[in-house]
Amino acid sequence: MNAGSRQIEHDAAAWLARRDGGDWSAEQTAALERWLSAATAHRVAFLRLEAAWAESDRLKALGAGLARGELPERGRWTQNRFGLRARRAEEAETHRRALADAAVAARAERRSRARAPARRLAAAALAATALLAVALSWGWQRYERVQPQAYRTAIGSLREIALADGSAATMSSDSAIEVALSRHERHIELQRGEAYFEVAKDAARPFAVQAGERRIVAVGTRFSVRRDGDEVRVVVSEGTVRLESAPQDGRGQPVTLLPAGSSALATAAGVLVRDGSIADAERALDWRRGYLVFLDTPLAVAVAEFNRYNRRPLVIGDAAAAQLRIGGSFRWSNAEVFANLLEQALPVRAERESERIVLYSR
Amino acid sequence: MDKALDAWFVREILAHEASLAQYLRRCWPQADELHDLRQEVYVRVYEAAAKALPQQPKSFLFATARHLITDRLRRGRVVSIEPAGDFESLNVLIDEVSPEQRCGARQILKRLAEALDRLPDRCRQIVWLRRVEDLPQKEVASRLGISEKAVEKQIAKGMRLLAEHYHGQPAVPANAAAAARRRGAVTEQESG
Repeated sequence: MNAGSRQIEHDAAAWLARRDGGDWSAEQTAALERWLSAATAHRVAFLRLEAAWAESDRLKALGAGLARGELPERGRWTQNRFGLRARRAEEAETHRRALADAAVAARAERRSRARAPARRLAAAALAATALLAVALSWGWQRYERVQPQAYRTAIGSLREIALADGSAATMSSDSAIEVALSRHERHIELQRGEAYFEVAKDAARPFAVQAGERRIVAVGTRFSVRRDGDEVRVVVSEGTVRLESAPQDGRGQPVTLLPAGSSALATAAGVLVRDGSIADAERALDWRRGYLVFLDTPLAVAVAEFNRYNRRPLVIGDAAAAQLRIGGSFRWSNAEVFANLLEQALPVRAERESERIVLYSR
Repeated sequence: MDKALDAWFVREILAHEASLAQYLRRCWPQADELHDLRQEVYVRVYEAAAKALPQQPKSFLFATARHLITDRLRRGRVVSIEPAGDFESLNVLIDEVSPEQRCGARQILKRLAEALDRLPDRCRQIVWLRRVEDLPQKEVASRLGISEKAVEKQIAKGMRLLAEHYHGQPAVPANAAAAARRRGAVTEQESG
């Protein structure tokens, strides 16, 4: 398709918009038909736009209750931007309804008795219950505070953890975290490895991940933190996070803000931030789905990545092999398949020993 | 001009655009070529379906995408060793793309509303008048004091952007995240 798919899409949209404009003659119908028949690429592009535009007729529903000519501000319909919050909203709704039902039932019962002493008794009971609930929750918070939860993964396995505040963490291979949810802060310590967080929104309780000397703070967002010794890597796929460093020589360190799509590498020398698209950030997080993605990556680096996930390590046999470059996405769970592929596609010879696989250049 | 074929294409093929896009993204490192790749997949599927409708539209769509990628790799347009041999993982991937949901009217509306909100200001205003208030393009033009041609151009732009978001957005029901979490748990048991 040498015309270029974007150009074709533009042309298809132009046809559709002209037809939408009215004054559509028989000649124009025929001309459109000729354009559609000229290439299947024209037809599929047109069908695709036409289908979405036809569906957009449903948007009329949005105008309900608004004065004509009034354009509402953005975001009015899209408060629940992702499943997590939507689900919580649903739960809250169910809960609210259950409470309302209970209240109705209680009122009906009270009315049927219609006796003052009973009402007073009920009120006292209610107050007592409320007091108990407060005491319990306070105790629970304290308990949570002094009792951090530790989670670990072995080499080659991932783990998903649902945290009590509605957030979720996905731990990568060979990682360790400790979670402490207090009333004022949700504190996670990344002791080793890498973890990806989907943070439930709670403005009153910041979500902070401590990785050695660095602290990564978010309110409601998605990001991952990885620790290799003193190096800390942060990838943000939604929202904004704040990267803080421990004070050095008694002086505070600058704070770095990381928007969605960016990644940061914090080393002893400083913080390096790279901006990218959200797709780039998602790509860097493909390990969650079982893949490692490389783009023109030196073999030595790719092998080091693989070894984070496998007990039987890949070893580079000589300097020439280390410098070969590879691209593609690979299942991290199978180093053997990876070695086979390397042998097929690169000047590489693999020697398979029982404890390791050594890669030599050919 | 085959209305039944067109309807089939919209219903059975375009419905998977989000999964297809995800799949292509993963197999093809050059982001700027994805649009072109997607179109070519659609062309191949449509032309094949004109001869005989595939029994399993979704598998057919992904098989077509896979063949297209191997073809292009053979033509040597990209240096990537992955699809050359790692078919095993590509196949797995197809099974992993979430089963599409025929989503309900409410959900479709929500998706459209989101798409509308992502339009640039002028475009959003014009699409609103045309689509929500149902004014003819002519009237939109006179109300805003701009030419009909300008309105038509904005409508065309709106059509493209709405389609991108409408087709490209995965239909995620409220419990999908939970389902994904469950899937993750199962995988862990298998591997650990």
